Amino acid sequence: MKDVLEQLDAKRQAARAGGGEKRVLAQHEKGKLSARERIEVLLDDGSFEEFDMFVEHQCSDFGMDEKKIPGDGVVTGSGTINGRLVYLFAKDFTVFGGSLSLAHAKKIMKVQDAALRNGAPILGLFDAGGARIQEGVDALGGYAEIFQRNVLASGVVPQISVIMGPCAGGDVYSPAMTDFIFMVKDTSYMYVTGPDVVKTVTNEVVTHEELGGASIHAKKSGVADGAFENDIEALVQMRRLVDFLPLNNREKVPARPSYDKPDRIEPSLDTLVPPNPNKPYDIKELIRKTADEGDFFEIAPDYATNIVTGFGRLEGQTVGFVANQPMSLAGVLDIDASKKGARFVRFCDAFSIPIVTFVDVPGFLPGTKQEYGGLIKHGAKLLFAYAEATVPKLTVITRKAYGGAYDVMASKHLRGDINYAWPTAEIAVMGAKGAAEIIHRADLGDEEKMAAHTKEYEDRFANPFVAASRGYLDDVIQPRSTRVRLIKALRTLKNKNLSNPWKKHDNLPL
Amino acid sequence: MFNKILIANRGEIAVRVIKTCKRLGIPTVAVYSEADAASLAVEMADEAVFIGPPAPGESYLNMDRILAACEETGADAVHPGFGFLSENAKFPEALAKKNIAWIGPNVYAIQSMGDKLESKKLAAKAGVSTVPGFKGEIEDDQQAVEVADDIGYPVMIKASAGGGGKGMRIARSASEVKDGFKAARNEAKSSFGDDRILIEKFVEKPRHIEIQVLGDKHGNVIHLNERECSIQRRNQKVIEEAPSPFLDKRTRDKMGEQAVALAKAVDYDSAGTVEFIVDPNKNFYFLEMNTRLQVEHPVTELTHDIDLVEQMIRVAAGKELELTQRDVRIKGHAVEARLYAEDPYRGFLPSIGRLERYVEPEQGPMGPGKLRIDSGVREGDEISLFYDPMIAKVIGYGDTREKAIDALADSLDRLHVEGLQANAPFLSAVLDETDFRKGNIHTGYIDEHFPDGFAGTVAREDQLRFMTAAAAFVHTTFVQRATQIAGRLTPAPNAGELHDWVVIMDGHRFAVEMRLPQGAIGEEVPAELWCPALSTGRMALATSWRPGDHLFEGELDGEKFALTFSDRTEGYRLRHRGFAATVLVCTPRTAELHARLPEKEAADTAKLITSPMPGLVMSVNVEVGQEVKAGEALVVVEAMKMENVLRAERDGTVKSIEASAGDSVAADELLIEFE
Repeated sequence: MKDVLEQLDAKRQAARAGGGEKRVLAQHEKGKLSARERIEVLLDDGSFEEFDMFVEHQCSDFGMDEKKIPGDGVVTGSGTINGRLVYLFAKDFTVFGGSLSLAHAKKIMKVQDAALRNGAPILGLFDAGGARIQEGVDALGGYAEIFQRNVLASGVVPQISVIMGPCAGGDVYSPAMTDFIFMVKDTSYMYVTGPDVVKTVTNEVVTHEELGGASIHAKKSGVADGAFENDIEALVQMRRLVDFLPLNNREKVPARPSYDKPDRIEPSLDTLVPPNPNKPYDIKELIRKTADEGDFFEIAPDYATNIVTGFGRLEGQTVGFVANQPMSLAGVLDIDASKKGARFVRFCDAFSIPIVTFVDVPGFLPGTKQEYGGLIKHGAKLLFAYAEATVPKLTVITRKAYGGAYDVMASKHLRGDINYAWPTAEIAVMGAKGAAEIIHRADLGDEEKMAAHTKEYEDRFANPFVAASRGYLDDVIQPRSTRVRLIKALRTLKNKNLSNPWKKHDNLPL
Repeated sequence: MFNKILIANRGEIAVRVIKTCKRLGIPTVAVYSEADAASLAVEMADEAVFIGPPAPGESYLNMDRILAACEETGADAVHPGFGFLSENAKFPEALAKKNIAWIGPNVYAIQSMGDKLESKKLAAKAGVSTVPGFKGEIEDDQQAVEVADDIGYPVMIKASAGGGGKGMRIARSASEVKDGFKAARNEAKSSFGDDRILIEKFVEKPRHIEIQVLGDKHGNVIHLNERECSIQRRNQKVIEEAPSPFLDKRTRDKMGEQAVALAKAVDYDSAGTVEFIVDPNKNFYFLEMNTRLQVEHPVTELTHDIDLVEQMIRVAAGKELELTQRDVRIKGHAVEARLYAEDPYRGFLPSIGRLERYVEPEQGPMGPGKLRIDSGVREGDEISLFYDPMIAKVIGYGDTREKAIDALADSLDRLHVEGLQANAPFLSAVLDETDFRKGNIHTGYIDEHFPDGFAGTVAREDQLRFMTAAAAFVHTTFVQRATQIAGRLTPAPNAGELHDWVVIMDGHRFAVEMRLPQGAIGEEVPAELWCPALSTGRMALATSWRPGDHLFEGELDGEKFALTFSDRTEGYRLRHRGFAATVLVCTPRTAELHARLPEKEAADTAKLITSPMPGLVMSVNVEVGQEVKAGEALVVVEAMKMENVLRAERDGTVKSIEASAGDSVAADELLIEFE
């Protein structure tokens, strides 16, 4: 028996060594941790239960039968984050560059299946060189089976991808189908085809960073939902994110004790909206002053900054915040903002996370660039997402709610549960000047008359009371009491019961 | 006395005047510009009158609007505060025509003291010590040497038409005078087209010490001793105190007597200030007289138990001074620090904007003394680019200078500002310096002690202990709370567990063990910690801090401290006095892994031109592909009504331009990239 135990021990040691000390050191020199080190930071101490550490590939072509390393380039298993179950896989760059073989793919499928069956989030840590070319179609098949499971798990359990090294080719599409992608600055990149191929095909010369670094995906492409300074910061923040999320779509949002007072009044919010309607202000201040302890986990903070999305808590329970940001492009809805907002709203709806929407939107962005880009269909995504959402929807209009954008931003007409406005709200088809110019086209030349017409329109609609008189708003509230009123409203929605007609699935305007 | 007082000012001083009026039962009227419609002064005053757009010229300096406001409200007296119209003689003249009382000195006093030459002549005539110098032009270098010998070295040779340091020379000997005279004359001629040269005494390491005077309309004038305002940055007072740590009774009395003599010479009948410079041998020389209330008046009020605004109101109403010089006694010590909206870490650039969070410590007992705060803002107010960026005056009072400084420093630790940068860390750093503590100060103090600007102070041992204990407490609290989440596989661990941490801060790594007993959070049940590197044995930390708080007040083994706290992605940001750090707390294993990651090289910002502050791009002077030389003007950004020219730091070629004229840019926003 002793021999067998020793043998087990030795085998475990060998598997844990991954690609060996030298490769692990090289990993450190690049500013990256090894797969196992990453897992240590991500999970609660001692909670990791590894699967398949002895798995080896079955490939015998190109001399691969001579090269076998237990684990085969990916570490998989389950563990806990603050005591709650999660599944994970971490690509091990030190073993075959983390490349994907059939055996490697099967390990990932196993944790994907377990996560789906047992209703727990799954996290993937990526740092790999794509398909193992020696395996040919087996590797491709492996990818597709992973993709299939990503799709089946979508909307059932949260799926989070963290890109912590190279992620290219077939590897990119699994993260692409998960709920969130995060990257590590300077050490990770992500693209479908790398700089070499790009150069061959298009003659374009680009670096890895320029083609798919964190700075590109977190700011320009919107592929990534955030970027962190280093591995440790990224993993610590993933623990923080998981704490906001329910384990699966049958569970309620997680609750935890809050040290913040539900009746906290914020007098300074009374002056958040500047007297000058053209002056911007930071809507995140409202989010920070509304959420418990000012704690806000922002999703995609550097992409489409004209809309703000992220998680916070009210009375210890997760809510999703969506807010137009007057500081950026006046908070206008454009293609990127619509897509970002829509995706976040759908995530919240899928996982029973109530949505709090702060509205200050001048409308959709005009122009050929937007129209050619398909603003109609992209804008419709946000409209669609809000309209189909059945989770509690709480809306506060702080200032402008103009035109179609008023409808879109969780209006009463889209089954908003509680719709409030600040006294500074203006709900109208458009700004007063534009409206007057259309209604009184005949007087266009006469400045004095136009000023009077503008004033007339302003007096009529530059306030929340017309909408309130129709019942489109449930109340006009003091800005300082926003947190209190939202908390009270949310309490009444604990048992909200609303469902959409049966359908195979909807046909979101993609 | 008066039926209604209008305050022709804004912000902190308007609030200050209203407070006294309220105490005296006199109704008040505030005037306000568009930018101040929701200000504290407007809220506190009994009535408020809108007087125009934000630009001071169209509102606070607009006499007609203010006179109209007086008539509209029936105010029968006006307090001008300081700045704006306070030293404009036309204003009291206009008021007099409408039979409205002016709470300030007579017009002659304002006019004569407002004129630099006239005031010096009057001072000399009244027997006030003025800077020795030759009253006239110097003909040639021979005469220059004679005059200099006469005055005594060192002397300052300067252009009569001069300004901005041009044509100025300091000479310490006859030969230096000869050379300096010629050079100054040439420079004066080429710079100003006027080669007239003056010579006067050069005062080395001068201190700025001023005498508060108070007169009535019955010929009585007293002085309320001195204030020292030597801590200045670019001629802007930063820290002021009373009494001066430098003066002896004899000098003080002499300065006081001369100040009173000057005040009497102009029939001074309000509160005013006679400013002197004082050399290291306690020789003092008249600088100028300010015919108004000074910003730093609170230090005099605290050390003399007097309300200067009340006194001004009384004498303006024709009452006789109740005090005689014999009643004036200095009691204790007061030190005032001016909290400015500026970024001390970036060359004190203005940092305007909304006060997203602004929490003042409570006035009253503070540390070994007490605290007074004069501020005109609340959380949510805007520090606007139109006015002085002072947020508040924080004043520490104590029996001794040491206690007053400690009370002030303790107050600054409890002052939380978010949304913009304030100079609190810098003020604290000055207060903690040995030379300042010893009173070894002069007007060049800041340049001498911070020649390369301010980058925070080096942590002291006690600061490391406070920060380590606080960060470990915060982290343990967060971690224990996180384990209370619903949906666990196993029950949450009990509170009271011993946690092992490594606290990484400012290049240090401290191993810490910490235990939070049941009920420790928010309840001041002391937590226990061990940190062999910082203290032998167990430490006890009592605090009422709870998640969401921005102020961490604690008592570590009986030592009280306060830190400002904010939770950021990169770690906990903590500040104590002039030392601020981002603190990472993690398990020993994570700390070990953290050490394996190489320090990231700071991004190569040499190739980037970023906006140093929020502002408006006025112009972009280069094009993509253009080659520029070091020092060439690239972009002009306007902020705080100041044009800031951003120049190339080295030669290079413009790769991209990210901003154009008319754009609003944030601090740190990329404007131009070089290849």
